[in-house]
Amino acid sequence: MSELARNLNALDERFAAALAQADDERALDAVRVAFLGRSGEVTVLRRSIGRLPAHERPGAGKEINDAALAMEARLEDARAALQRHIFDADLAQSIDVTFPAIAPVEGSLHPIRRVLNDVCAYFERRGFSIVLGPEVEPDYYVFDALNIATDHPAREGFDSFFLSDTLLLRPHTSPMQIRTMQLHTPPVAVIAPGKCYRRDAVDARHLYQFNQIEGLLVAPGIHFGHLKGTLLGMCRHLFGPDQQVRFRPSYFPFTEPSAEVDTTCPRCAGFVTQCKMCGGSGWIELGGAGMVHPNVLREVGYDPETVSGWAFGFGIERLGLIRYDIDDVRRYLENDPDFLEQLG
Amino acid sequence: MRVPIGWLRDYVDLPDDPQKIADRLAMLGFPVEQIETRPVISGVVAGRITTLEKHPQADRLQVASIDIGADAPVVIVTAATNVAVDQVIPVAVAGAHLPDLTIEPRKMRGIQSEGMMCSAQELALPGEWFEDGIMQLDADLPLGSDVVAAFGLSEAVLDVDVTSNRVDAMSILGIARELAAAYTTPLRAPSFVQPAPTDAPAGDLPRVTLESADCKRFIAQRIADLPAGPAPSWMRIRLALAGQRPVSAAVDVSNYVMLETAQPLHFYDAAKVAGRHLVVRDAHPGETLLGLDGIERTLDDRALVVADEREALGLAGVLGGAASQITATTKELLLESATFTGARVRRMSMALGVRTDASSRHEKLLAPALADAAAARAAHLLWALGATVYAPQITGAPLCAPKAIDFDARSVERLLGFPLEDAEIRRALQALGCTIEPLAPGHMRVAPPAWRTDLSIPADLVEEIARIVGYDRVVAVNHAIAPHTIESHDFHVEERLANALAALGYREIVTSALHGARLFDILRRAGLTPSHLSAEVRNPLSEDQRFLRYSLAPGICEYLARVDAPMRVFEIGHVFMRENGHVAEVPAVLFAFTQEPGDEPAWRDSGFLRLKGDTQALVRRMTGVTPTAARDRRTGAHPGKSAAFLIEGREVATCGRLDPRAEVAFGIRRPTYVCNLYLDSLPDLVIPRYVPRPKFPTTYRDLALVLPLDVESARVAEIAQGAIGSLCIGVHIFDEYRGPQVPPGRKSLAVRVTLQRNDATITDEQADEAVGHAIAALERELGAQLRT
Repeated sequence: MSELARNLNALDERFAAALAQADDERALDAVRVAFLGRSGEVTVLRRSIGRLPAHERPGAGKEINDAALAMEARLEDARAALQRHIFDADLAQSIDVTFPAIAPVEGSLHPIRRVLNDVCAYFERRGFSIVLGPEVEPDYYVFDALNIATDHPAREGFDSFFLSDTLLLRPHTSPMQIRTMQLHTPPVAVIAPGKCYRRDAVDARHLYQFNQIEGLLVAPGIHFGHLKGTLLGMCRHLFGPDQQVRFRPSYFPFTEPSAEVDTTCPRCAGFVTQCKMCGGSGWIELGGAGMVHPNVLREVGYDPETVSGWAFGFGIERLGLIRYDIDDVRRYLENDPDFLEQLG
Repeated sequence: MRVPIGWLRDYVDLPDDPQKIADRLAMLGFPVEQIETRPVISGVVAGRITTLEKHPQADRLQVASIDIGADAPVVIVTAATNVAVDQVIPVAVAGAHLPDLTIEPRKMRGIQSEGMMCSAQELALPGEWFEDGIMQLDADLPLGSDVVAAFGLSEAVLDVDVTSNRVDAMSILGIARELAAAYTTPLRAPSFVQPAPTDAPAGDLPRVTLESADCKRFIAQRIADLPAGPAPSWMRIRLALAGQRPVSAAVDVSNYVMLETAQPLHFYDAAKVAGRHLVVRDAHPGETLLGLDGIERTLDDRALVVADEREALGLAGVLGGAASQITATTKELLLESATFTGARVRRMSMALGVRTDASSRHEKLLAPALADAAAARAAHLLWALGATVYAPQITGAPLCAPKAIDFDARSVERLLGFPLEDAEIRRALQALGCTIEPLAPGHMRVAPPAWRTDLSIPADLVEEIARIVGYDRVVAVNHAIAPHTIESHDFHVEERLANALAALGYREIVTSALHGARLFDILRRAGLTPSHLSAEVRNPLSEDQRFLRYSLAPGICEYLARVDAPMRVFEIGHVFMRENGHVAEVPAVLFAFTQEPGDEPAWRDSGFLRLKGDTQALVRRMTGVTPTAARDRRTGAHPGKSAAFLIEGREVATCGRLDPRAEVAFGIRRPTYVCNLYLDSLPDLVIPRYVPRPKFPTTYRDLALVLPLDVESARVAEIAQGAIGSLCIGVHIFDEYRGPQVPPGRKSLAVRVTLQRNDATITDEQADEAVGHAIAALERELGAQLRT
């Protein structure tokens, strides 16, 4: 055996021993530097070629190169094995995925706003704009302009909070009909959501501070059927594709004809006699609506002979009760954290 | 309004099922709030007591023999004490069902009792409204007839809602009229013709003087020889089922006619009306009146009274007076059936705080023709009871028919969306009592019936037609909306704001816009004065709803105290201030959080920094601009931990730690941080433009600067930036230290200066040189020292 062969054998043994010792990436790297680095053992051995007779040099060079290539391959295998080992160890880990999550800081919208946004989305898609207005109103907008003169018996139905003889917290959103029509010429297509106030004793069905959404469409050729179509679409958008809508005659001084609007009970569809939501009637009352009274149109300078329109005013709380199964309107003003979390 | 179905059936044929009637009424515009079903009672017949003897074995019992129209009398052993021979009474015969028991023959102390005489209570009537003991029936009832059927005792009572335009339907007859029209079945109205009057010398007839224009019509009628004792049992039972307590024959007739026709009546004891002269006039200021309700009121000229020649006898259309009321001994009465101005009655009733069945009808548009009808009806009922009736004295303008309406049949389609034939329109309107005069095809003149004061324009008639043909005929259709220019801007700002706050981890709440004086006590306890004058509600329902909020903060503070756990919340709502005699209303936004106190030195408040971060992020989201922050001081905020945010010099928000004294006064047990956003000074969103960054790498230098305590970090950043110029693309102060490692009165700030060239890679030498300029400037201007 030539000396070179002996040296290569010995080198190989040392390399194998060092490789066996190396159990992480850094140790492997040290092995590479020690044997294959710029001043590593293979380089030292290569330098010794110079001492050999000229004819042996090419063969020796090839032997050393082959050995170096083999070492590099083994090093690479070892590296791959180590990597595999690390992955295997990692993949063998298993945690309790049912352990409670780290909670994010979550915000939410009030259920009233969520319902309102749903309603607004529907109406915007149908070409309506959304207008907002003041909560403190002169009685002109609340009553007089809406065909409810002083001493009109219907004023009693609006048990209002007065700030002065003529200034009050609006008991309905209908003043926005007047404000909108006074600012714009027909066609007018708006909804007006907002807070309203009435001197109602608070119970599961009543709040003294509540929200209404007013709808108003005035243009040539508008009739009751358009109102029904729009409200049917709204109910289906909010409560499901099978909803139906029913009009019942009613009375509001600012509409003629007037209607109470009912929708089918989405909870029981009329099949449950003890239904908590509709009392077994199968219908739920949404609010008042009707064709804008000619006196109201005249008040804002519209010609009732050339344009007609419908209007409605619904309680948003009530829509929320239906949509979210809320049992008591007081919850809206209590803002219990659990209530906000469940419905946010 | 309580409507006994048994009473309705007098006037109109109806289905048996009360639910069906209620549903039909609802679709006519008269929703039924409740159907009060009555207990099933059977086997009760009218009987006359023919003999009455003491029970041989029992002192307290009597044995009655009762003729029930059958071959043999029934024998009943009774303990009742108000029975006498010849009385007609309700008899529950063997097998009868009463609400609580079934009647079976049984032996009582040796004598077989074959049934039971019934009290009002046992027939499920309010016992305390009728005589004690056995109920007394009318002598003319056929013996053996079914008492339950005769008086409708098992028929349900409907609680009907009547809208304020339909005072004519605030009556049994009015409801019956609606149902007759809906079912196209005839109405059996009672007679409204005066009975043949007894002639009397003119001097014995009442005189009426109308001194006020607020009395449109006044019918006075003298009725003498009033029957003694109670009203007939059919009338008393009807009143009781309708919720009206029977009193005496005359009073019951007055109530009965009001419930039947909607027209309130008033009866005066003729002997107590001075000069038999009734005067309708304004009250004299200071005049007093003791009402039927036992309350003495001092009046002024806003009150309208019916007086005699001496004094006020009653409040017109509202309440009678005690002095002239009819009593058990009244022999002769003066009937009043009048029409007053609704507004006057309404104002009087509100001003005096007295609301009666009469005033709730008079304050609406009662048709003058009803006054005549009701007077006739009452006279007729009293006459039938044996009274002597004199001719009515009618004062006021002559009755005129309601104004006819020219009606174009096309308005049906125009308003409802579907056409109707002339014949169908005619049928509907005639069913409601209108008179139609056809003018041309599609055109007619419609005269509303005398009792309908609410029909004056074609749209009113369209509603009437729709009610009769059914609102279900309206077909849902869609329509295209013509383009219009109305903006939804304000709503969308609010919506974006709410979404941005929710994204920042705040939960929206809605608190009361009304509050009580308690809030001012809380502020006083905290040593704070309100920042604005509060607008005040004149007629609050309770003291805790007296004031309008001028800020959202108190409501949120009360909420945070109540929840008593770390919370992050916001509210968007209007606030109100009293300013120079008017009420200013502005939209406001407030967000706040409470957190557990952190473990940090007193000179650091990470809660504030967190709040500042949220504020800046929110303003940036809303406007596209990062606002600058400056120290701020204002009521309610901690004086050292509060900042204002400005965009182009305009304040858009303030934020800070809540004044700890306010925290305690509100009862919040955690540090509280509050930001107020001023919605109306917030500039509109600037749409951001993308600016590509230079592609050359950045480098940075970290400096530890020792500085006097009062140097604000914004100033450090500003000077460093200014000294370096455009090479500096950011100065970020990332830590502050105070303590033994720096001299007293000084603090250390850790500052990272980030550098970049836009034309080449910046070299270390260039970076060092640039930072050298910054250090020199900081030393020169702020006395900064580099910490080593």
